[in-house]
Amino acid sequence: MTTSSKPPRSRLDPDPVPRRDWLGLSALWTAGGALLFGMIGMLKLPKAAVLSSPSKKFRVPLPETLAAGEAYVPPGRSVALFKDAEGVYAVSTICTHLGCVVKANPEGFECPCHGSRFLADGTVTKGPAPRALPWLKVSLGGGMATIDEDTVVPPGTKVS
Amino acid sequence: MKKNKYLLLLSSAGTLLLLGAAAVDENFLKEWRRIQSQGQSDEGAIPVQLRQVVNEGLGVSDRCVSCHVAMGPGEQSVRGGEVLAPHKPVVHDPAEYGCTVCHGGQGLATEKDDAHGRVHFWPEPMLQESFSYAGCGTCHIALGVPEKTQLQRATLAFERLDCLACHRVDGRGGTVRPDGGGMEGPDLSGASLSGYDRDWYAKHLIKSRTEPAGPWTKTFQPVSEPDLKLLGAYLETRVAAPDLVQAKSVFLSTGCLGCHQVSGVGGDDGPDLSIAGFKDPGQVSFEHVPGSRVMENWLAEHFRAPASVVIGSQMPPAPLAEREIRQLTLFTQSLRRKELRDAFVPRDRVKATKFGEREFASDGATVYGAFCAGCHGMDGLGRRAPGLAAFPSVANPDFLALVSDAFLTESVTRGRPGRRMPGWLREGGLTKDEIDAVVSHLRTIGGTRQEPDPRPARWVTASPDAGERIFESVCSGCHGGQGQGAEGPSLANPVLLETATDTYLTETIGRGRRGTAMPGFHSPSPVYPALTQDDIASVVAHLRSLGGKK
Amino acid sequence: MTPVDAGGPALREFVENLKAVPRRLKETAFRTGPPVTDRTRSTFVFGNVFLHLHSVRTHRWSLRWTTTMGLGIMTFAAFLIALVTGVMLMFYYKPFPDVAYQSMKDIHFVVPTGRLIRNIHRWSANVMVIGVILHMARAFYTAAYRRPREYNWLIGIGLLVTTLGLSFTGYLLPWDQLAYWAITIGANIAQSPREVTDALNITDYFDPGGFQKLLLLGSDQVGAEALIRFYMLHVMILPLVLAALMAVHFWRIRKDGGLVRPPDADERLTKKRAEETYPVFTEAPAKTYHLAAIVRGRTPNVGRGPENTVPSMPHLFYAELGVLMFTLLICVALSLVSDAPLKELANPNVPENPAKAPWYFLGLQEMVSFSAFMGGIAIPAIVLLGLALIPYLDRETKGTGEWFGGPGGWPLVRLSLLFGLAVPVLLEAFAIRFGWLREWFPDIPQLIVTFINPATVLTAIYALYSIWCIRRYESARAGALGLFTCFLCGFLVLTIIGTYFRGPNWEFFWSPADWPQH
Repeated sequence: MTTSSKPPRSRLDPDPVPRRDWLGLSALWTAGGALLFGMIGMLKLPKAAVLSSPSKKFRVPLPETLAAGEAYVPPGRSVALFKDAEGVYAVSTICTHLGCVVKANPEGFECPCHGSRFLADGTVTKGPAPRALPWLKVSLGGGMATIDEDTVVPPGTKVS
Repeated sequence: MKKNKYLLLLSSAGTLLLLGAAAVDENFLKEWRRIQSQGQSDEGAIPVQLRQVVNEGLGVSDRCVSCHVAMGPGEQSVRGGEVLAPHKPVVHDPAEYGCTVCHGGQGLATEKDDAHGRVHFWPEPMLQESFSYAGCGTCHIALGVPEKTQLQRATLAFERLDCLACHRVDGRGGTVRPDGGGMEGPDLSGASLSGYDRDWYAKHLIKSRTEPAGPWTKTFQPVSEPDLKLLGAYLETRVAAPDLVQAKSVFLSTGCLGCHQVSGVGGDDGPDLSIAGFKDPGQVSFEHVPGSRVMENWLAEHFRAPASVVIGSQMPPAPLAEREIRQLTLFTQSLRRKELRDAFVPRDRVKATKFGEREFASDGATVYGAFCAGCHGMDGLGRRAPGLAAFPSVANPDFLALVSDAFLTESVTRGRPGRRMPGWLREGGLTKDEIDAVVSHLRTIGGTRQEPDPRPARWVTASPDAGERIFESVCSGCHGGQGQGAEGPSLANPVLLETATDTYLTETIGRGRRGTAMPGFHSPSPVYPALTQDDIASVVAHLRSLGGKK
Repeated sequence: MTPVDAGGPALREFVENLKAVPRRLKETAFRTGPPVTDRTRSTFVFGNVFLHLHSVRTHRWSLRWTTTMGLGIMTFAAFLIALVTGVMLMFYYKPFPDVAYQSMKDIHFVVPTGRLIRNIHRWSANVMVIGVILHMARAFYTAAYRRPREYNWLIGIGLLVTTLGLSFTGYLLPWDQLAYWAITIGANIAQSPREVTDALNITDYFDPGGFQKLLLLGSDQVGAEALIRFYMLHVMILPLVLAALMAVHFWRIRKDGGLVRPPDADERLTKKRAEETYPVFTEAPAKTYHLAAIVRGRTPNVGRGPENTVPSMPHLFYAELGVLMFTLLICVALSLVSDAPLKELANPNVPENPAKAPWYFLGLQEMVSFSAFMGGIAIPAIVLLGLALIPYLDRETKGTGEWFGGPGGWPLVRLSLLFGLAVPVLLEAFAIRFGWLREWFPDIPQLIVTFINPATVLTAIYALYSIWCIRRYESARAGALGLFTCFLCGFLVLTIIGTYFRGPNWEFFWSPADWPQH
């Protein structure tokens, strides 16, 4: 406060604010805190709590006639399902480079975007892809395979 | 300035406090968080997060699985209480189809009352649990179900022939197992859906002869031809929705289509019922409905006493037992047709929309039950309802003995213009074959053929003047002064006069109709004198002139 | 020997500069240092782009709570809150029919903090509407519209209209029954000049009503086109207009010499709190402290002795920040108590009955129930015109800066309150009890009903009353006091009737409990 009873003073003179303005400072800090807290709360908003896309866990009927090494891609999903003597396994068909969907071919997979090539077990053989295609968790039951695109399992994990 | 600082301090502190409270509520106190925190999967506690089933094809994002976790995709193993429990096995996996498609309610909501649609501004509340099968009607509109007596007979045949010994149906039966272990006979609950071997009987026969011993020889007995037909009908209706099938068979015996349209088929005396299952409880009056304000109660009470629930309703009350009223309610709730993407349109609906098949079995009994029984009664003996004109007894033996099939066909085809009976040969009505089937069904329930009538259609030559006096004193009480019909049927109706033979008219007056209000005038009654043959002829002549006067 | 020493002076300087980055960053961002002296406080204000719209010193009269009650700042604060929350909502809102409703449900149920933010948005919008009306009343009753503030009063009316427009356009966006039918009514009010053109049989050649509705909806009924238009108006055009008008409004406060105060404000303050005043220009009385101050001759700081100004930093900013936080507190508290309404999905086949507009339009809707054109367009236009003319008709000086200042004063306002409340109540009671012209003379031409109905009669009575005030007190200010008070009363009465006493088919009911059940 600029309260004093010692005239004359000049407005050019230093007229310090009382150092210990507890009321003013606590008011300011509380206001700042409230605004900051509100702001932080609000910043949670853009991070969506649910996505509009279907669940990453899904069930598909297991095709009965699937030759060993032949990929079955359930419609609308980016997963290749394989079946051989040791069991069933699923390999993600999303390129580890920049997320294009790779295409199954007799040797394995090829990525249309930047030319990465993969073997049928997901190993990179060519191109910029930094990692092998991940194997995904599969569980079987009642002729159906449940695939969880969010859970990666070590390559070679086959279930029967 | 001190005041302003206090204002700032107190306002800020208050805001901080309130925001804190809101944060605590949002992050810790939500119901679904509490429920999910009790959930356990094989790998331990489940992550607490909003969950949902998304099916873009059906346009569904159901957050119901935020509480009913184990019904969600890939969460079958979650345990931890009733709410979290998995769905009982059904044809459509909720993890794929979502919940609201069948159950209604508000899938986008995450709080119980909102989600179950029990809030003021959600017009599609969840179906009550005991009415759940009504949800099937969203897609499966066209189940080929017959009317209720046929379904009953078929069901009884299945039980009488002891099929339940080996086969399970809707959770019953299947207790006997072949010797040496193994499976019982296949579960037939969804036989019609998944398809079944049409040669099953021949194969059963062979098996029962070749098996040395065990249930095959003891339990299985040869089946007669009519029973085989009944078993076939029973299997056709096994679509894993037993309640809905029964409810539909009740609907098809109640004649609602006589006045109401469903999917463009039926009469136009009453409101269209195609999406009656979506009726908003907020838009109807519950003033005269006892019990809670849910659509199920409203519908049931409306079937018991239409005119007291909907003021001015011309609908006769349904002559049904309580159990059947409940079934009719369930069926009405199932009238919730939604447009679907092609990939999701079920076969039964394709048959109806693309190939023009009926949405129900189309034998004479079912068509009669669906279109005629509401007014003429399932037994064809007519109905009387307070405040409404009597509905004629069309299966009356006295009536059937005097009319030809052509008369019946013509009557159904053209109806009675000006009365509630519409002509049925039209778009949205019946086909020619169906009308013939109905007529032969009438003969079946009436059990009476037409008596041979050697006379020509028109033979009465009497003068109408005497007839007019007699008509006024004797007939007009029921049939109206001009024969326009009142409590009794309209006689001046052009279609009637055109198709009725003189024999039919004179004999009807003379003999009357047993079991109805129409007395026979050959013999005197306490109220009326007897009429001579001439009197009757003159009355008939008068009737003919009524038609001419029009 | 470190590598830096070996690198020569340039590299050493580079490293020094690098070390100095945090300090210099602070210096360049906050050039003036802590605002602890009057000089640094001044530079704090005009060195900051967001604060320099303020004068560096504020008159103590302006800081009295009774002077403004903080209403203008409260309105601005509500706008800021609505702006921030509105931007947040735009992350999830999808302006397309049905989808819009689903996105509202998403915001309500699954968007983190979405429900609270939507509620705050809705409540801050309401606070803004109330604030702008009360602020206008304050400016009027303290005669703050007088010379040289006439133009700023006009800007203020523009702000009022824009605020209502923002609120109205936001109303459609949830795409629920409430929204759909309120906007249908609003659009048909826009079309209501047809009432007159139809009666004159000239609609085929001259159809301003149809044009307005088409412009508003982009179609003949409320649909996707209307929704995208309302969305664009709500998030783009109107906020920009509002921001521009607000900038002018605030800037003019400065240019018009700060907030209004009575000519003897200094004496009054000095008498009361002499010890708090200190001379500012004692050593250089002939000098102004700021070049801008000599642009207008009205600057009080030339050659004056004791001065009643205090540094804006911190005095004014404590007040402003206090009001901002207080507004935020109100909005948050209301948001936690009451959810913003969201009815069932809009259904063009099932009209809401009654379909009610937002509450501040219910007075208008009440008048519309007598005549769409007069109630919805003509009378509001007359009212706005009357408001705009006030500063040009009242050229007096007595009572400037005083509450209820001017001839008549509080007694006149009190009388006007009674009169202004009684007349619409009686008129409404009469019309509800006995009906109006069409009930008595069924064949009466539409034009007569359009021009003679309770709403127009009310307007006429108010106008006559105002003329009586002018003659009674021989003062235009007295007429304005009477008329403005009556306007507020009429607005209040009609809004209350429209809100609480009108049910299905816009019939009168003592309470919603008496509404018939379907």
